[in-house]
Amino acid sequence: MALPYHLLKVCGSTVFAAQGSDIHSFSSALEYISTWKYPVHIADEANVPSTEAQDSPAPEGPPAKRRKMDGGKESASNGQPKSKKAAQYIVPANERPFVQGLYATTDGCHLVAITGSDKTIWVFEHDGRGNLKLLSQRAMPKRPCSLTLTPDNHTILSADKFGDVYALPLLQSTTTTTPPTSDPIVVAPLPKSRSATPSTPAAPSTPTPLLLKPQGNELTVHTKRNLKALENQKISMDRNSKAQQDQLNGAAHDVVVFEHTLLLGHVSMLTAICIGTTSGSREYIITADRDEHIRVSRGMPQAHVIEGFCLGHEDFVSRLCVAPGGKARILISGGGDDDLFVWDWARGQLLGKAGVLEHVRRAVVAVEGEASTTKVAVSRVFGCRWEGATGVFVVVERVPALFRYELLEDNTLCHRETIPLPGNVLDVEMIEASGVAPPRLLVAVDPGASAEGLSSSSSLILLDKEEAGWRQSNVENLPAGADVNISTKELQKILYSTETLRKSSDFD
Amino acid sequence: MGGDKIKKDKRQKREDYRAAMRSQEGISELPRKKFYRQRAHANPFSDHQLIYPPHPDQMDWSSLYPDYVVDDEPQDQHTPAPETPSDQQDLAPLRPKRISKDVEVADIGCGFGGLLIALGPTMPETLILGLEIRVSVTQFVEDRIKALRAQDQDTKLYRNVGVLRANTMKFLPNFFRKGQLAKVFICFPDPHFKTRKHKQRIVSTTLNAEYAYVLRPGGVVYTITDVPDLHEWMVQHLDAHPSFERVSEAEQEADPCVAIMRTETEEGKKVERHKGQKYVALFKRLEDPAW
Repeated sequence: MALPYHLLKVCGSTVFAAQGSDIHSFSSALEYISTWKYPVHIADEANVPSTEAQDSPAPEGPPAKRRKMDGGKESASNGQPKSKKAAQYIVPANERPFVQGLYATTDGCHLVAITGSDKTIWVFEHDGRGNLKLLSQRAMPKRPCSLTLTPDNHTILSADKFGDVYALPLLQSTTTTTPPTSDPIVVAPLPKSRSATPSTPAAPSTPTPLLLKPQGNELTVHTKRNLKALENQKISMDRNSKAQQDQLNGAAHDVVVFEHTLLLGHVSMLTAICIGTTSGSREYIITADRDEHIRVSRGMPQAHVIEGFCLGHEDFVSRLCVAPGGKARILISGGGDDDLFVWDWARGQLLGKAGVLEHVRRAVVAVEGEASTTKVAVSRVFGCRWEGATGVFVVVERVPALFRYELLEDNTLCHRETIPLPGNVLDVEMIEASGVAPPRLLVAVDPGASAEGLSSSSSLILLDKEEAGWRQSNVENLPAGADVNISTKELQKILYSTETLRKSSDFD
Repeated sequence: MGGDKIKKDKRQKREDYRAAMRSQEGISELPRKKFYRQRAHANPFSDHQLIYPPHPDQMDWSSLYPDYVVDDEPQDQHTPAPETPSDQQDLAPLRPKRISKDVEVADIGCGFGGLLIALGPTMPETLILGLEIRVSVTQFVEDRIKALRAQDQDTKLYRNVGVLRANTMKFLPNFFRKGQLAKVFICFPDPHFKTRKHKQRIVSTTLNAEYAYVLRPGGVVYTITDVPDLHEWMVQHLDAHPSFERVSEAEQEADPCVAIMRTETEEGKKVERHKGQKYVALFKRLEDPAW
């Protein structure tokens, strides 16, 4: 089945668009340039991504790839990856490593991508003409949900599903094999408390013998169950120490060896991260989580200091957007609430709200004739200069329309218009036109989810503002995407994951 | 079958007992622990049915500390800054009744409330809050405080202690503003022996940033445990955090709270009975570095 384009990133005069696990590049006139294919497809079209990726050639640096697998320990100790078959069982079919995030450095020289189930961050060199060269692939301890680049373009900040934020150098130094332990910005010199598996030390350090210590003794253990646990622990410690001995004897072992520093963490899944800059050019790390928090921490090297919180959301937060164009003190956040929130993030103060649900209901009425929508999940908040003002474009999951807001001078966020589209909107970007021509919008839609259109409409749509309204034109001549064996249900699950952040449990 | 029946009866008994405890006003009989027992572990990562304010300003403390409620009309004092747009928007929804003081001492994982009850009379001018994730245990402490308050009509003791059901690992900043607390107690926390459960420990490098946030500079984190490795763990992680500095042994032993923490907590007593060891470590919140 043909996959829709689901992620867009404009980088200078190049447009990158992700389709499944592949990244295509286009010129600003939307002429196709090239495609980067996820390496596993080269190795074996039919094979689901597996440890195979480890062997895929990376132009530079050692393969730092590591996949969490149940058999990981054994395969690590005997230096052999598990068989393809085993990998197929372990990686569920719907866990294809779709590209889940696309980011570009401000100078446009590098593109950074996140792929989902293999938890990998990919860094590409961009030649400015749409050609990508893979520089590194780094598999993180936990799945990255969102990342951002520091303004100096040197560091990637990756926020993961486990609630932690790691700092990684954009470009790996040539001596990647030795984990740097004397880094001055290391705030967590310990193997982190929340590093789940012994084989993935979270802070840049080698696997420590600390794990071999007994955790309790007979005096401290009160219950039968605890005693049993203690006993089991001792057994597994014996086994671990043996395994570690093997590791020391054997040479190669695929732990996470690249430099990555734990900066901060929430006890909740992180959903968004961005950097805010105050007038004093101080940087702050703004992180949002599933438990309604937006946290403002100092930038490196003082990321352990929490400056404040922007509290007020009553459902998950999924998107953050620092307002562009001289309004860097303003943060717009969206998620599972009915409204977008406007903050003075440095003071943790709520400035205002702007309704989303009401406009979604109106849009749904226009399409379906009745408003059945009772809740929304904001999946994109994209800010840019628009017609001399600050424009904010909002995408709501499973809604075939794009919502345009404007941030006024007094920081009120105002809904301006709803642009109906032939399919559910997945992403939006603005393409600056050369000369005096007005900018255009590029929208990625899911044509499969539209009411009437079969595959008549393209997955990429250009929007041009004209006096009479918006002119929509399909982007033609898209490269033939790989025919991927994925069911509609699985695809939907991957494309529409924001709503799953909502809490539904009703137990104590 | 048979066992099931007995279990049901037991549950029924517990429910009846607890309902009776709650329905009677001014009851001065202390609750009995056996009707409030609950498994000692709770998963801090799951979405419990928790009640918490979206913002500390929206927290209603009046029901916890009714003796401190102030009767005034604060509605206009706190309205958001004038530049706030249209008044149709309800940015600061209902403002709860104000109380004359802020909570300054928090007992994280207060369990059956031994420390709270002992601390209350020793610092009568300070509001103390216990936070506990287990429902029945929280109810026990609620009933216990209610009964104690009823017993001490004349001395007016225990008016300054309260308890809340909360998951502090997630929602501490929903209850307390920056620098609000002077003392945070972490007494006999769940040791989480298994390596893969270490992420659930209440002290970790990343979580310590939140303790630093709610504590004012000079404030103190008190830790005590009977598990040597957990002690080491907590010391290591708090030491590693630049916002904290360990309090010297001499200063530690001079602190009256330390003695109370050793002897008055439920777990402390239990360890005493088992002749186990107790490990104490105190950490002072430092000023944030220049920025």
